[in-house]
Amino acid sequence: MGFAEPDRADTLLDDPALAGLTDPLDDVFGDGLPDALSQVADPDLALLGLVRLMESLGKTDIDGEDHAGQLIAALRHAGRARDRLLAVLGASSALGDHLVTHPGHWRCVTEATRQSAEQRRDDVVSAVTASLTSAGTRPAYDALRVAYRSNLLGIAALDLTAQTAVDELPLTAAALADLAAAALEAALVIARDEVGQGADDCRFAVIGMGKCGGLELNYVSDVDVIFVAEPTSGDVADEAAAITVGAQLATALMRACSAATAEGTLWPVDAALRPEGKNGPLVRTVASHLQYYQRWAKTWEFQALLKARTVAGDVGLGRAYLDAISPLVWQAASRDHFVEDVQAMRRRVEENVPAGESARQLKLGPGGLRDVEFSVQLLQLVHGRSDLTLRSGTTLEALAALSNGGYVAREDAAVLDDSYRLLRTLEHRIQLFRLRRTHLMPSAEPDLRRLGRAIGHHRDPARAVVAQWQQQAREVRRIHERLFYRPLLISAAKLSSAEARLTPEAARERLAALGFRDPAGAMRHLEALTDGLSRRAAIQRTLLPVMLGWFADEADPDAGLLAFRRISDSLGTSHWYLKMLRDEGSAAERLAHVLARSRYAADLLIRAPESVAMIGDAGGLTPRSREALLATMTAAIRRKNTADDAMTAVRVVRRQELFRIAVADLTGQLDRAGIAAALTDLTAATLQSALDIATRRVEAEAGGPLGTRLLVVGMGSLGGGEIGYGSDADVMFVHRADDGVDETDAQKQATLVVQEVRRLLGVAGPDPQLVIDPDLRPEGKTGPMVRSLAGYAAYYERWSLTWEAQALLRAAPVAGDADLGRAFCDLINPIRWPQGGVSAHAVREIRTLKARMESERLPRGADPKTHFKLGLGGLSDVEWTVQLVQLRHGYEIEGLRTTGTIAALAAAGEAGLIPPADVETMAQAWAFASTLRNASVLWRGRPVDALPSDMKDADGIGRIVGRGAGQGAELAEVYRRLARRARTAVNSSFYESP
Amino acid sequence: MDRQQEFVLRTIEERDIRFVRLWFTDVLGQLKSVAIAPAELEGAFAEGIGFDGSAIEGFARVYEADMLVKPDPGTFQVLPWRGENPGTARMFGDIVLPDGSPSFADSRYVLKRALAKAADLGFTFYTHPEVEFFLFEQPMRPGESPTPVDQAGYFDHVPHGMGHDFRRAAIAMLESMGISVEFSHHEMAPGQNEIDLRYADGLSTADNIMTFRTVIKEVALEQGVFASFMPKPFSDHPGSGMHTHLSLFEGDRNAFHEAGAPYQLSQVGRQFIAGLLHHGAEISAITNQWVNSYKRLWGGGEAPAHVCWGHNNRSAMVRVPMYKPNKGQSTRVEVRSLDSACNPYLAFAVMLAAGLKGIEEGYELPDEAEDDVWTLTDAERLAMGIEPLPSTLINAVTLMERSDLVAETLGEHVFDFFLRNKRAEWADYKGQVTPFELERYLPRL
Repeated sequence: MGFAEPDRADTLLDDPALAGLTDPLDDVFGDGLPDALSQVADPDLALLGLVRLMESLGKTDIDGEDHAGQLIAALRHAGRARDRLLAVLGASSALGDHLVTHPGHWRCVTEATRQSAEQRRDDVVSAVTASLTSAGTRPAYDALRVAYRSNLLGIAALDLTAQTAVDELPLTAAALADLAAAALEAALVIARDEVGQGADDCRFAVIGMGKCGGLELNYVSDVDVIFVAEPTSGDVADEAAAITVGAQLATALMRACSAATAEGTLWPVDAALRPEGKNGPLVRTVASHLQYYQRWAKTWEFQALLKARTVAGDVGLGRAYLDAISPLVWQAASRDHFVEDVQAMRRRVEENVPAGESARQLKLGPGGLRDVEFSVQLLQLVHGRSDLTLRSGTTLEALAALSNGGYVAREDAAVLDDSYRLLRTLEHRIQLFRLRRTHLMPSAEPDLRRLGRAIGHHRDPARAVVAQWQQQAREVRRIHERLFYRPLLISAAKLSSAEARLTPEAARERLAALGFRDPAGAMRHLEALTDGLSRRAAIQRTLLPVMLGWFADEADPDAGLLAFRRISDSLGTSHWYLKMLRDEGSAAERLAHVLARSRYAADLLIRAPESVAMIGDAGGLTPRSREALLATMTAAIRRKNTADDAMTAVRVVRRQELFRIAVADLTGQLDRAGIAAALTDLTAATLQSALDIATRRVEAEAGGPLGTRLLVVGMGSLGGGEIGYGSDADVMFVHRADDGVDETDAQKQATLVVQEVRRLLGVAGPDPQLVIDPDLRPEGKTGPMVRSLAGYAAYYERWSLTWEAQALLRAAPVAGDADLGRAFCDLINPIRWPQGGVSAHAVREIRTLKARMESERLPRGADPKTHFKLGLGGLSDVEWTVQLVQLRHGYEIEGLRTTGTIAALAAAGEAGLIPPADVETMAQAWAFASTLRNASVLWRGRPVDALPSDMKDADGIGRIVGRGAGQGAELAEVYRRLARRARTAVNSSFYESP
Repeated sequence: MDRQQEFVLRTIEERDIRFVRLWFTDVLGQLKSVAIAPAELEGAFAEGIGFDGSAIEGFARVYEADMLVKPDPGTFQVLPWRGENPGTARMFGDIVLPDGSPSFADSRYVLKRALAKAADLGFTFYTHPEVEFFLFEQPMRPGESPTPVDQAGYFDHVPHGMGHDFRRAAIAMLESMGISVEFSHHEMAPGQNEIDLRYADGLSTADNIMTFRTVIKEVALEQGVFASFMPKPFSDHPGSGMHTHLSLFEGDRNAFHEAGAPYQLSQVGRQFIAGLLHHGAEISAITNQWVNSYKRLWGGGEAPAHVCWGHNNRSAMVRVPMYKPNKGQSTRVEVRSLDSACNPYLAFAVMLAAGLKGIEEGYELPDEAEDDVWTLTDAERLAMGIEPLPSTLINAVTLMERSDLVAETLGEHVFDFFLRNKRAEWADYKGQVTPFELERYLPRL
């Protein structure tokens, strides 16, 4: 029968209070009371409520009438009256309590009819007025609450006994909004009475906002309003007085609604949507509102104004307000920053999910009610400027209008309409139970059971309602796709002709609002991608609506879409590509983000589309170790016959790995140090492979072993393990003849190998070249390309210039013979970390050289404040400061004997050689400059030396380094601040320290 | 197109305006103007008018794009001194980049950022400047000592005085441009006048000061005299300051007021003053930005050369004016170091930032200075912890260079330009052989 506690029900059914209802016994089954009870949401609750109501009726004497008798008569037989009363008692314990306190109100339930807004207003207002004028038994506050609740009983009765709850929803929501308006009107009557005479000098109107304004109120919700006041006289001089009185009226009105009395409270009246929010004056004149909205208002405020409607007070004043304000609402889309605001608001909605409750939220979070309402409103703002049919304050009406106008696909609108109605109905039922403001799905079994039964699930209601909710929520979660992007695709693909389609003009508006700079071009790409009947076109038609959203999230959606089109053109027919995009959830998303975020990655991918497979591979983004890379490269070399083919194979491996690192960087899976390490490993492996190929070739041509061993020493950022995407590889070549081989022969062979290495790396190819720079070798450009170890020893013994010692600080073997590497390090260690530190003379020399470089090395026209490497407070500044400390103290402090800048800087700090604050400052500036330099390459696709001078670049780079959208202009501020502080530190630690 | 823009366009048609000047301010506080025909105005509202910023002080490009000046329709005024028909009107403009984002080189944006920061803390910033200036006889030759129009003194009424007519004409013109004048009188020095503007929010006041300086110069020309805001034109007379009253409001409540507290000054008010004092030396380069400014500051009399505060102490840098009973809303602090030749946008921004810093960090307000600071001995000042303000422009610049507060308030771009420009100004000045030297050394040495 649906009772959770049958025994208790039996007892209750026998309760004397129900005498006359339950017998004669033959009525009990069949169409009797228990049967009727079994239909309601919570039979136990309904039965208990009924017993309490009957008891209360028995005890209370109302106007001398025989209420109990009449009620029994009404309940004895099946029919509307019985259904309604039991439905209300079974759905809401709060309304049941109200009936027990006011048993006479049972007629409000059984005889409920639909009422117009005017009827409700008259009803509530007259109840309150009566309490004021006749100084009746109840104060006006109570009268307001009782009248409100009795109306609420009627609304609930009709709602709960409707054929289908979801169809009834708009009517219920509108009735609730009407009732709220009536209550506000009555509260205003109270307020005028409280304020007294002065109130007559003030015209006062209450503008409903939010759900109240949109005629779609919940059972329990804050009622959002804005207050307007004007002097009655129309005399400007009286304005201040009218505002003062208006503020008193507004305060009294809010108190009348929200104060808790013996009869409870209605709801809080929330005036926070007013100009300047909580800080603004409570009441303004029409002119003052207008001025604010013209000058100061933000886009979201216009969005809120979409729903404005006069709900109480002076109708003429309300109309004047709306006439003044509504034109502004529809111009909001042409305001500055509308596009940015829209994107920001969209992000905010998506991010606005309270963590703990997200799983049970009906209102917030992706796919919640707020999301539907918000998205519909945005489309109204974008398209409502030119299309008057879209200007409705009610979500469902607006959705229908959007669908009729072709702005949203018809079936998508239908799905959203269904989901919205269901979610709202659930929300209503949950709120109705205790008349509490909540938007959470209950978790307790009895609550779920009641909720399930309330929406018509009689078998396993708890599980059924959760299942139904989750299914709808899944549909809504794709709301952005449905509302924003799908219509564009339908329009582009020119598919079904039966359906109203987004006009080209509207499509352009939409694309522009989403951040596409060249909407016409984007439309062309969409057409090309979705044209035809191929499998590819079909898959892309389903994919692109979602992907467009991801493109739109990034700084350069246009480039992303174009790159996608190019990759798709070259890979579109390969089976695995389409399968990957379609089946592997995150692959398409990652691809879209990467393409629209980084030209470097997009270029790599366009040249080597097959690398895209990495994106689909879950573990595919972990950079590979130097050994693993070398193994792959070596295997590839072995398979090839000629040196050039072998090098091409190595470069393919490098290209793929570069893409992997770039994607890992862009998706935030690698930090700066990780990227530097991965790139250094990759460069080392590539150099080793080139060395192997060259050696093989020279040996083949000589017809015998080389007779000498080679070593590649990394210098600069390569030696330091701090290489970036755009860095050249600074190197020196060392060799040592095998025993018994003539030095001259060995030198000749080694030179041949080095020449071949340079040739191999220099061959033009589709990948970013690995440029090697051997200029740091002894004697610089004029010196021999490769020397023997003994040659280095002799050279350093005789010449050893200070700048060479400094350069050697960052020397580290990266490829070639390991033993030779150790020997080379043994050779240079005493030079770079000289016992007792470098001389005072050398210190002065280094400082002077640096000072001279600052003025001479900077490229013509470059700004010293923004150059990453050579600018003030840039990379060189920090590196030279560290290196000076290393040259002076490396011999005595272990930690300084490293090639890494940050490690040495930290060691200098620990040893007290640089003040901790300066270490911190310099490390920050150095890391930020490195990060920006890498990000610039990722964004522009080529090396960049200074802060971008173009806004769009700044935005793109800013996003790559994790700043929010639209904060690009501040990037320069942040960099220059860090650099300025670092420069101060450099001045004291490099130039001024003793 | 919003209502205000429509109003502007309609007025232009009705009043037969043939030229619209878009006003903006370079980093040194010089008013710049670009005139456009009314037909271009609609485009200017939508996108701004492009110009090459590289030739304007401090506008060297931050981003390699043309700069745009975008009129603020709320500042539209018909210029009264250009004759009625055909007329000329002006609007202040914001400097923006082609993507609509504000330019970091724009002084107005510097102030807007500072005001936004105050707003984040819940404050609105109001200012009330008392602008002093000199009137000289024409012709005025640069390099020669000027002749003041009269020999009167403080509050003197000069019968048939030139200054009298001048002030009346100037005030009429200011009022006709929507700038309310509170007070005007003859100042201490010969030919020196003071006009006080009514208090308004920081941005409006700064705009008003820019307008004010132009109006005063225009009226002077009309009357055949010359007006100057130079801080210290005469060695032996007081210079022209711009004492500025500052207050913060929380909603419609004066945040400086607390009934019953000493001088009715709230905790917030005391911390604000503490901030002004704490950072007083490092913001001097902005509030007193010329070589000549420091001759006024160190010229004695009522000019404040020391970092201290007092109640009705006219030698203190910050003065808390006499409290009028039941006027809680008017509680305010007066900064007396500022001079009339500053860039009001930047000066307001750094003063606000210094005060807010005091509030944020909860600085302790030092004891007030009750004596005339000039009469104290060095040792007394040392004992009381009263530090001097910078004595020259270069001292001020050196102090500012180390200030994160100023850098953050101005933005790195303006900060950097300003320092470079002022170092150059100092270098030029230092290189001069002055009349003083010629007079004193040439005969003797």
